[in-house]
Amino acid sequence: MRIRTHKRLWALGAAGFGLALAAGPAALAFEEAPMLQEKVKAGELPPVDERLPMNPLVLEVVEQTGEYGGTIRRAILGGGDQHNMVRTIGSDNIVRWDREWTEVRPNIAESWEVSEDASSFTFKLREGMRWSDGEPFTADDIVFWYEDVFLDTRLTPNKDSTFVGPDGPVEVRKIDDVTVEFDFRTPNGLFIQNLAYGFGYHPAAFPKHYLSQFHEKYNPDVQSLVDAEPAAADWIQLFNLKAGPMDTPLFWQNPDRPTLHAWHLTNAYGSTDRIVAERNPFYWKVDEAGQQLPYVDRITYDQVEDVETILLKAFNGEIDYMLRHLGRPANKAALTDNMDRGKYGFFDVGDLPANIMILMLNLNHKDPVKRQVINDKNFRVGLSHAVNRQEIIDLLYFGSGTPAQVAPREGSELYKEWYAKQFTEYDPDLANEFLDKAGLNERDSEGFRLGPNGERFTLVFLVADVFGLQYPDAMELIQGYAADVGLDIQVRATDRSRLIDLHTSNEQDAYLWNCSGGQADAYTTPICYVPIVSNSVSWAREWAAWGVDSNRGEEPPEAVKEIFAAYDEVKAASGPDELRERMQHVLDLSMEQFFTIGLVQNDPVFGIARANVRNVPNPLPIAGQLWFPAPYTAQIYFEGGDNLP
Amino acid sequence: MVPTLLLVSITTFVIIQLPPGDYLDSLAAEMGESGVDNTAVLESLRRQYGLGEPFYVQYFKWMRGILLEGDFGLSFEKNRPVTDLIWDRLGWTFGISIMTLLFIWLTALPIGIYSAVRKYSVGDYVATFFGFIGLAIPNFLLALVMMYVAFKFFGQSVGGLVSPEYLGEPWTWAKFVDLLKHIWMPIVVVGTSGAAALIRIMRANLLDELYRPYVVTARAKGMTEFQLLLRYPVRVALNPFISTIGWILPTLVSGEIIVAVVMNLPTTGPLLLRALLVQDMFLAGSLILIVSMLTVVGTLISDVLLALVDPRIRYQ
Repeated sequence: MRIRTHKRLWALGAAGFGLALAAGPAALAFEEAPMLQEKVKAGELPPVDERLPMNPLVLEVVEQTGEYGGTIRRAILGGGDQHNMVRTIGSDNIVRWDREWTEVRPNIAESWEVSEDASSFTFKLREGMRWSDGEPFTADDIVFWYEDVFLDTRLTPNKDSTFVGPDGPVEVRKIDDVTVEFDFRTPNGLFIQNLAYGFGYHPAAFPKHYLSQFHEKYNPDVQSLVDAEPAAADWIQLFNLKAGPMDTPLFWQNPDRPTLHAWHLTNAYGSTDRIVAERNPFYWKVDEAGQQLPYVDRITYDQVEDVETILLKAFNGEIDYMLRHLGRPANKAALTDNMDRGKYGFFDVGDLPANIMILMLNLNHKDPVKRQVINDKNFRVGLSHAVNRQEIIDLLYFGSGTPAQVAPREGSELYKEWYAKQFTEYDPDLANEFLDKAGLNERDSEGFRLGPNGERFTLVFLVADVFGLQYPDAMELIQGYAADVGLDIQVRATDRSRLIDLHTSNEQDAYLWNCSGGQADAYTTPICYVPIVSNSVSWAREWAAWGVDSNRGEEPPEAVKEIFAAYDEVKAASGPDELRERMQHVLDLSMEQFFTIGLVQNDPVFGIARANVRNVPNPLPIAGQLWFPAPYTAQIYFEGGDNLP
Repeated sequence: MVPTLLLVSITTFVIIQLPPGDYLDSLAAEMGESGVDNTAVLESLRRQYGLGEPFYVQYFKWMRGILLEGDFGLSFEKNRPVTDLIWDRLGWTFGISIMTLLFIWLTALPIGIYSAVRKYSVGDYVATFFGFIGLAIPNFLLALVMMYVAFKFFGQSVGGLVSPEYLGEPWTWAKFVDLLKHIWMPIVVVGTSGAAALIRIMRANLLDELYRPYVVTARAKGMTEFQLLLRYPVRVALNPFISTIGWILPTLVSGEIIVAVVMNLPTTGPLLLRALLVQDMFLAGSLILIVSMLTVVGTLISDVLLALVDPRIRYQ
């Protein structure tokens, strides 16, 4: 055993440490799955000790050391369901969040060091680590990603914000074969956290030995490969096809691409009835007994066309471990009824966004009259008091959920009661009072309030039937509540692409959506607390654009500038306590401004696991950016070494 | 025929382009829905798919590919040529269609004849009752009910054409038997309304014929009742059976989408639905084009057959 500590080594989050705890390879004889033993005997694979890195990651297990065998059977929708695979096998980054989502731990990197001012990060990789095809994984692969993919504007026209600091894109330097430095030049205290989230996968997802053949720089004869591929017209398209982003179907349509994942696809997503992912014989994690992970031989995804079919499969015991599509409150009763038949049990899933139903009013409205009214905090407070949140919860969600604003969840280290509870009580009189104060005190003959221009003040709400949350029904209720206090709300039901199209071009009055940032993701994706450019959330797009580049968008008022400045401070924080304090300050400022009106915070959801599935993380946190259970599926196993009949 | 197809291809393309946005907007929306907001990647994908070219350029490129190289373009979502994706599924669609057609004929013909000949008998009432039920119940509902029954009382794995253990396995006798255990369900579901309709039509047509003077004449000449029935009135009343061929294929491919989605069939229906939802336009366009082609060809075949069977049509 050797334990290394560093002068300034911390992993952010609550505990904030990053000790690289590692078992020396010489002390342990490693063991492998029976199916691999046979291959070794047949000479198809090198012995396990040669396949593992010198210093494999010893993964902590949930309950106990497991046994080999079995197939995790799941179901996947025919299209657009790549996150089904991303979240079970895809997300295995340089660093990872622990199972409780409280601190960042080593993963692909065995340790890292942070410079004094949190501007530069040096990662130590595992010596002798290999891609799923047996080729070595070294710092050169990361440099390949950096120089030939990330920096190449033809391949990466827009850079992912994970790798862009306040002072521009990161600089990556190879120190030696197993050491790389990520240098942002200015403090970027959130980098390690970001790297542990989903989009941090990039640096370790581009095997140079495989992908360089599709790159102009390495293969002068790349045109012949282009000609052979009907789906590509030039090498850039070819490269994108072979090296697609993990969160699009592209990544899962190229089973030839070597990965560092626990299982490796044997066929492509979208063109078969069943996708099969076989264990990666070169996977670099072991358990405490020295058994190479993963325990489970393979994962299969049966392609289905309809969510209801997945439910039926679960009843029939054809699903071993799954939360996606199943874990909806509406399914709970039916799943409970069929527990014995399907031989499964439930586990809790902490999918707890900041709010699941938000009135996103457009603070940067193009119409000056509407803008003036919406920007008046009294108006927003009035509208907030006008809504009967508990009734919405009772009518639409069978009483499951809590009336709340857009705020960190109870239990999160950033939680404050007043964030969540301000202006949430249902009080039409108070609402009227605030709306009068906002200057909407005149009414027309039908009893609706008039705007400052003397015409009826109307807000058009866009609504799409998304997330399975019955937004259109909710909007009808909200329209009624608003009418009770004399506010005219018109509802436009639309489909979600149209909705996104409208709000990303800043042409909406308001719309109904949800927002992340309920737990630790408040630090890295505060999209409802700070104006940030995003595809799904727009409540102040022009300010957000200004925040990125002060020559664009529109200069926000002082109070908003102060929030921008405060969030920049968060990025420059150099220790977990400082980080929390500064983020708290951002939230204090933002909550005071009361940008968006939150209605409901949901209860935890659930997933199912069959009776002999062990080491199931429970409760399992997930979030838009936190692609769990992926780093921990490798330690799930079947008691008895096989599926239940 | 050719101008029809050309018009169909243009209409198809226009309709697919009509909804606002394109595949990437759908992709962005789906990403946003799963809480993953990836603004960085969309720019490079837009370039990848050549979206943003004017629409007539896209149309001509597409048509040129089809006519000159048999290339239906690329599916955005699957990142594979459309031709790779659809033939497998078209095969299943054809297979199920033909079997459904046989099912419809085999049930509708005897029942239709029976209920015409034994008009107002108990058997006629029973057949009529089921006929109306078959016509009135939407296919997908029937599918759901049958799946529920199979699930609840037979403990069968429902949905799909083979049991999960045979998925992705090579074809064996056991797999084939398993296929037979599953495939009757979609055939019955899809065929029921068609059969019900044909029973009614057969009954009505035959009733018109049964009391014609030539029947009476034949009977007076001492022809056996069975021979008489089959040789003359049934032959005349048979026309609707043949014209079914024209519409059964397009109905199966496009009209039964919901059934295929509900029952999880590997046919073109779910593929088309998905393609339309995410605006995967070449895939959707190709499928609609092929279905239209089938309709036109099917109509042609049924016209030719009708002319063969029924001299009256030949002479007109």
